[in-house]
Amino acid sequence: MSLEIRRSSAAVLGSLSGMRKLPTVSKYIDTTTCIGCKACEVACQEWNDLPVVATKQEGSYQTLPTLHAQYWNLIKFSERDVDGGIAWLMRKDQCMHCDEPGCLAACPAPGAIVQYANGIVDVNADRCIGCGYCETGCPFDVPRFHKTTGKMAKCTLCVDRVEVGLEPACIKACPTGCLHFGTKDDMVALGMLRVDQLKANGFAQASLYDPKGVGGTSVVTVLAHGDHPDWYGLPADPHVPILVKFWKSVLRPLGAAAIFGAVIGAFAHFTKYGRKEAAGTDDDDTNLPTV
Amino acid sequence: MSSANPPRPIDRAVIAAQSREDVVVGNEIVRHNRASRLIHWTVSVTFFLCLFTGMPIWTPVFGWMASLFGGLTVCRVIHPWAGLAFFLSTIVMFVAWLGDMHLAPGERREWVSEGRAMRYMRYETDDSDVGKYNGGQKLQFWLVCLAALGLLLSGLLMWFPELFPAILRQLAYIIHDVTFILFAILIVFHIYLGTAAEPGTFGSMTRGTVTKAWARLHHGRWYRDVTGEERER
Repeated sequence: MSLEIRRSSAAVLGSLSGMRKLPTVSKYIDTTTCIGCKACEVACQEWNDLPVVATKQEGSYQTLPTLHAQYWNLIKFSERDVDGGIAWLMRKDQCMHCDEPGCLAACPAPGAIVQYANGIVDVNADRCIGCGYCETGCPFDVPRFHKTTGKMAKCTLCVDRVEVGLEPACIKACPTGCLHFGTKDDMVALGMLRVDQLKANGFAQASLYDPKGVGGTSVVTVLAHGDHPDWYGLPADPHVPILVKFWKSVLRPLGAAAIFGAVIGAFAHFTKYGRKEAAGTDDDDTNLPTV
Repeated sequence: MSSANPPRPIDRAVIAAQSREDVVVGNEIVRHNRASRLIHWTVSVTFFLCLFTGMPIWTPVFGWMASLFGGLTVCRVIHPWAGLAFFLSTIVMFVAWLGDMHLAPGERREWVSEGRAMRYMRYETDDSDVGKYNGGQKLQFWLVCLAALGLLLSGLLMWFPELFPAILRQLAYIIHDVTFILFAILIVFHIYLGTAAEPGTFGSMTRGTVTKAWARLHHGRWYRDVTGEERER
């Protein structure tokens, strides 16, 4: 039995029955204790049976320039000048599992993107039509279209492990304890604890990245330089693009109503004005169908 | 040898309408020759293909349309190609009909701002000085061609999203939808006027002909040009 669905793409009405109450789960990522070993990348590829993707050297330790349809977990490396020194920042890039997922909002295929009751956002490949709208809706640039399969792919938060009580593969593999998994509340509490620790140790700007613009994410990230999420490749204030919201929530229902209205208007016109045709029979219109 | 069916008389109007238009044949006038009708129906068929493959992707309320083609994935495959076919056939139509579709000076203003379109819909206009196409038909022609361009340009961004930045793709969704919605409303009235509201019009797109009475009523000047008759009264 699969998890109850909280939200589904292209649903006319919502689908959460509320029959069962599940706590929202979350990953915890502490960028300050990540050593860039990439064990999580390997574990992700292994558990999800993803093939080897050819690495691409771009002058850093990063495996690939960006996420890939068959590479859902990527440690991003970035070097920054900080107070005369250098900061070598590493962040685990992956789907953020937003509480208000932009991908799901943009998706036109019913059930192709679902958010389970525990907050995990997942792709149903057999429902996906490969339109790529999710790429436009995502404020984190995560979903990737795969040309060969014609489907979108991204991190599933190992929903197949989580629903049987296991932690995600990446968490399992992490050797430093910079990754944890649990309920959102627990992970946020853990994050705040670590942030306080960092603040007491010279990182006054440390913060927990859990952006409210998308209703919070099921991946909370401890940043030593919390005032500069962009240094880690994170948007400062992510939200579902306003045009995508307008498109789906305003234009679509209004447009459908307008088209129905036009049909009704034509009927109404006919009842009021009837046909417009030549008066009388002054003519030899033998080919005119009788009306 | 008494056959039950007498030989059918040759339908001279239909034969004339294969290649000629704006000619009188018996009691009828050929309005659209075969090439012209073929262009119209090509645009029409490709439009409906786009409509029925696009609407289920547009909103799940019309999801049932997808089953006409075997599912949403099939629609997603057909739609861009049907769109391309629609655009290309619209170009052919544009070139073929452009000569007849020039709006006279002030004609757009008369139809739009001065409300002739509304008076036309209330059957209050005197069309005895209207040529082959009235201002409303000409405006429809230009709107269709403009819409085809807007749908193509925005559609290309949606077809090849990897080539364009996110903000342009977002704008493309809006442009594609707004254009489609206005276009659909226009086509609802186009079909309504061409069938139920104005009897005799649909025949110009099937047989290719209209009756003299129809021509006198809707396109007085065109009727006089074609028949050579003088204005009555």
